[in-house]
Amino acid sequence: MGAYVLRRLWQMIPTLAGVMLLIFVLFNWVGGDPSLVLAGKITNKEQIENIKKQLGVDQPAYVQLGYFAFEVATGFTCTWKSFTDKPEPPKTDPKADPTTDAKSDAVKATAQTKSGCQAVRSWATNEEVPKILTTRIVPTLTIMIPVLILETILGVILAIGVAYVRGSLTDRMIMMVCTVAMSVSFLVYIIVAQYIFGFQLGWFPVQGWSDSFWKNITYYAPLPIMLAVFVGLAPALRLYRSFFLDEINNDYVRTARAKGVSEKTVMMKHVLRNAMIPILTNIGIALPGIFVGSFLLETFFSIPGLGREILVAVNRSDFPVIKAATVYLAMVTMIINLLVDVLYKAVDPRVTFK
Amino acid sequence: MNLNIPTLNCAKRAIAALALVWASIFLATVAQAGDLKTLKIAFRNAETGFDPQRIEDRYSVGIIENFFDTLVTYDWLARPAKLVPLAAEKVPEGEEGGTRFTFRIKPGILFADDPAFKGKKRELVARDMEYAIKRFRDPANRSPYAWLFIDRIVGFDEYVEAAKKANKYDYEKSIPGVQVLDKYTISFKLKQADYNFLYFFAMPIVVPVAREVIEAYASDTMAHPVGTGPYILKQWTRRSKIVLERNTNYRGHQLDTQYANPNDPFDQAAIKALAGKTLPLIDRIEISPIEEEQPRFLAFMNLEHDYIEETPPNFVSQLLSLGKLSPAMVKRNVHVQRTEEPEITWDAFNMEDKIVGGYKPENVAFRRALVLAHDRASEINIIRKGQAIATKSAIPPGAVGYDPDFYAVDEEYDLSRAKALLDLYGYVDKDGDGWRDMPDGSPIVLTFKHRAEMEGRQIAELWVKSMAAIGIRMQTTAVQFADLLRDRKVGKFQMSNLSWTADYPDGQNFLQLLYGPNIDESNDARFKLPEYDRLYSQALKLPDGPARNKIYREMNRLIVAYAPWRLGVNRIFSHFINPWVLGYKRHPILYTAFKYLDIDTAAQQAAQQQ
Repeated sequence: MGAYVLRRLWQMIPTLAGVMLLIFVLFNWVGGDPSLVLAGKITNKEQIENIKKQLGVDQPAYVQLGYFAFEVATGFTCTWKSFTDKPEPPKTDPKADPTTDAKSDAVKATAQTKSGCQAVRSWATNEEVPKILTTRIVPTLTIMIPVLILETILGVILAIGVAYVRGSLTDRMIMMVCTVAMSVSFLVYIIVAQYIFGFQLGWFPVQGWSDSFWKNITYYAPLPIMLAVFVGLAPALRLYRSFFLDEINNDYVRTARAKGVSEKTVMMKHVLRNAMIPILTNIGIALPGIFVGSFLLETFFSIPGLGREILVAVNRSDFPVIKAATVYLAMVTMIINLLVDVLYKAVDPRVTFK
Repeated sequence: MNLNIPTLNCAKRAIAALALVWASIFLATVAQAGDLKTLKIAFRNAETGFDPQRIEDRYSVGIIENFFDTLVTYDWLARPAKLVPLAAEKVPEGEEGGTRFTFRIKPGILFADDPAFKGKKRELVARDMEYAIKRFRDPANRSPYAWLFIDRIVGFDEYVEAAKKANKYDYEKSIPGVQVLDKYTISFKLKQADYNFLYFFAMPIVVPVAREVIEAYASDTMAHPVGTGPYILKQWTRRSKIVLERNTNYRGHQLDTQYANPNDPFDQAAIKALAGKTLPLIDRIEISPIEEEQPRFLAFMNLEHDYIEETPPNFVSQLLSLGKLSPAMVKRNVHVQRTEEPEITWDAFNMEDKIVGGYKPENVAFRRALVLAHDRASEINIIRKGQAIATKSAIPPGAVGYDPDFYAVDEEYDLSRAKALLDLYGYVDKDGDGWRDMPDGSPIVLTFKHRAEMEGRQIAELWVKSMAAIGIRMQTTAVQFADLLRDRKVGKFQMSNLSWTADYPDGQNFLQLLYGPNIDESNDARFKLPEYDRLYSQALKLPDGPARNKIYREMNRLIVAYAPWRLGVNRIFSHFINPWVLGYKRHPILYTAFKYLDIDTAAQQAAQQQ
């Protein structure tokens, strides 16, 4: 298995290079000129040239691509001069005035600037991009992890139930409700639920977020989580039901029943275990999504997550943030795909790594 | 059955525990609010940061109004806005024919405490203002407001050029036109007379900053605003929550107004609530940027926020019908203030375009016909949901130089006149395809370029419909915001919709949008009329008064006559205020009112507990 994992990790390098090339081409050809957005209400050519120079977008495409690759590899952005010059040591001795973290951060940052390299920063807000990703991912996961867990557990339980009573009125009714539920836009659910449960009934806050995980998970997150679960449950239920039906109709199930194995054992041991492989594949496909969150949920409920951050970045043509988020998502997707493939082995011993 | 009982009890216990947690959080929130006078509001958009010389968006600027003191500011209740001193001892008179302005800073004003000051109190001095002015032109700052100080102060452009050649922006070097006369006095010498220069020092971005703070936090000055204003930044979760608390070093101020309107209920309520008190009165302000309309509106309705400003037009009708508050709002004793902001929208014609541009009589007639055919009433009633009025001139209400009597019939919708004008100048259907052609027989196909979002699309579609009514073929092109900015700057468009919000409350801030030398900068219509440019230069040299107003009127007349713009609308905003917020009055230029507000905490808590 070690050799297999190693080979898959090697394969990620050309894949990531391809993703980066695609992102670079798309942003340079399709994306607008960020210098104009940043220049302000009244600008002149000189100012715009200065901004282009600072952003490095005045450089030839291959140089910009090189910078981009360096940024992805290190998380730092550097000027060409910084590669040839020796970095200057900071003039201030941090030990001389250890008053605050902010001070030492400032000294560190000044040293970074003097060496010509610094963390990749947002063009719009000057915030460090790695910091944006690491801080925004927490609210996103606070919402999305419970959503994935609840959606999977409820989806599997309900799907196995309706698959067992397939063809009955209950089965038909549930499938009809699922079809109707899937036909309505997520945005409509959010608007209606926010109005009814947040405003009319007052069961939940309309919007908000705090610094306390406990307060978030118990006070602000329940409504967005319930909405996401409700909306995600219908397609999951239909899909998982079909996986269970495929298994229920197999010969080994009929054989087990003929041998007098109890229905509980047939369903929970044989059918469930075999249906878990396609279910796991489906979860694997959905899993990268939890790391970018739902921009609709985050925007409507004022959750400071990654989805909302990406939306704001797109509106501001803040390319470093958009590029970083895209590369990050590509990496997460590849890693999760690898993990899911490894998990197949745990679920199904017949799977072998080649 | 017995097996289920413990399970049920367990579930009940879990629910009870959850409810307990929920209740404790709620009570803790209420208790926390009870300790301090806390104001909670929302902004329509996310902020970018709080470095005064590096920001432009009105939300960030609105926040820093509370961190930094400008040298001069506006009388809080005066309409139109009037300058009064703030950090300066008095509003300076223009000397040397309006080319010199000298400010003397009040001694004893302290910056908020910060580690950058190494435990010492730091007094505001003239050098801080000099340093801030230099920062505007430092290329490293990419200041969006650098234009304020380009080609204006004696020696500043040369200073920047020298820095460029030396590849070092030297803050130690002095600028001939920026003289620090003593510890508290700074004098500016301008290249030419400009009485509006004073307004720059009321802009929340033109504020003194402490050099040691900027240098200590060089890597992230956006997150470290340290000023002399009434509040400090207590907590900042970017694009999610901004918390302000009182600056303990702040000297306090009073509502000192000379221009309150005795007939304005908001003025009288503000005076009653605040007169004689040392301000600010609110301890803590929590601001949540909420981009979506519904949650922002519902948060106000749910009493999560104390007031809602710039209420989304889609929701105004739920609270306000024919100018009257709804019964539910009357029961809640909510107040409403409706304001016309000092801003305008317009549809620009590219004056260098072969079809819509030009200054010959037939070119002017063509544009004027398009203006007459544009159904602006539909824009107001349908697209803007009635929350706007037609713009009468390039200077909006609330700006100095606005003339309420200026009226141009040529901006009124009149299809017959539009058709007659086109017929008169030979813009008729020559090839029988049902669409009008140019006098030389070539086809007319106009293009309206707009931002790829709903409002831009609706405005463009209205133009297409309006033009079809007079037999002019028009198509629309939707582009991303950045591309639209680029295309406008280089004149790569035929028609487009634009807007402008006042940086300072003088008509000149709007009239400069058509000043010839500003082509490639702010004059997107690329209008170049010698007479207009001459009047503009002449007006700059005059202080506010009848002589200058006469020039402004003449410039407005030229705009209507040559029609480089189709004048658009002045948006009307509705602001709803809960009854426990005292002293509220929306200012036309300053974005936040925190330092002039008070809260009746007993009424606030009683309402929230109901």
